[in-house]
Amino acid sequence: MLEHIELWQSQVMELKEAFGESILEVRMPRDFPVDVPVIYLEKKHLLEVLRFLKERECRYSFLSDITATDEQEEGLPWRFEVVYQLFSQISKLRIRIKVRVAEGETVPTSVPLWAGANWAEREVYDMFGIVFEGHPDLRRILMDQRWVGHPLRKDYALKGFQIFTDSQSIDPSWLK
Amino acid sequence: MSKDGSSSFFTTKLDAFVNWGRKHSLWPLPFGTSCCGIEMMATLCSDYDMSRFGAEVVRFSPRQSDLLIVAGIINLKMAPILKMVYDQMSDPKFVMSFGACASSGGIFNVYSVLQGIDTLIPVDVYVPGCPPAPEGVIHALLALQRMVAAGETHSQKRLLAAKQA
Repeated sequence: MLEHIELWQSQVMELKEAFGESILEVRMPRDFPVDVPVIYLEKKHLLEVLRFLKERECRYSFLSDITATDEQEEGLPWRFEVVYQLFSQISKLRIRIKVRVAEGETVPTSVPLWAGANWAEREVYDMFGIVFEGHPDLRRILMDQRWVGHPLRKDYALKGFQIFTDSQSIDPSWLK
Repeated sequence: MSKDGSSSFFTTKLDAFVNWGRKHSLWPLPFGTSCCGIEMMATLCSDYDMSRFGAEVVRFSPRQSDLLIVAGIINLKMAPILKMVYDQMSDPKFVMSFGACASSGGIFNVYSVLQGIDTLIPVDVYVPGCPPAPEGVIHALLALQRMVAAGETHSQKRLLAAKQA
């Protein structure tokens, strides 16, 4: 991947010119043990940066995945990192965007940019309890709707079983 | 038969005869949820040939089968469905727990996986392995046949208790 490093560097420079101090940190493959550039953002400019990457000539137009990590630690000002994996179908390169959020903080939804973000954000909500502001249909996607808690949080009991004797009933509005 | 007309001796013999027939014509329902299902198919196919023991007619409707083979991991969302399938089977019904995941949750001791189907439905035979070898499945089937002939399965014991009550 190191043969693409110049291209990545120019893309990151472009991004820094456009957004300046809202880019908190950039980790490039040469300096850090990462496979693709990792860009840490301030939350308020997330959507603008994503739109920039999607629509400018670098064309990171394909959203591979949205996920999150629980970084729970004493004294850390944030708790979760929401991770956006982008792929460019023109240059065949990938890039990773990360946003740090504290517990109870919301993240703006990226459904207006990618319709496919809908289910990915629902999964992040289901597993970590991160609320995506403006999401059209934010409810659990993997776990039962009656489930209490979010299983991939560090403080969720590893064996926290919640057994339901019947399948969840289906709300007709979900099928629309 | 005794002189007063009660037919206790005769019925027991009939039960034994019926159980003998039952043991040689088990109709399995394959509840294959993961890789154990592949091993179950291998057992049913010509190399190992479960039809030698009269259990080759696989039915995908619980109403037409009497042996529930749970082959694979059962997660909590699947558990109510397994319970419903079991409830729909007509008596007497037998359950084979196929492999480590169905028997105990296996390596998946996490929030989303049922820790053994015996927490939900009564199990007659367990087959160890991950996945079990077809020989193990045949061994379990033979063990189940012995249990059916002796009337030792959960369902038969429950029916007997209901009859005596």
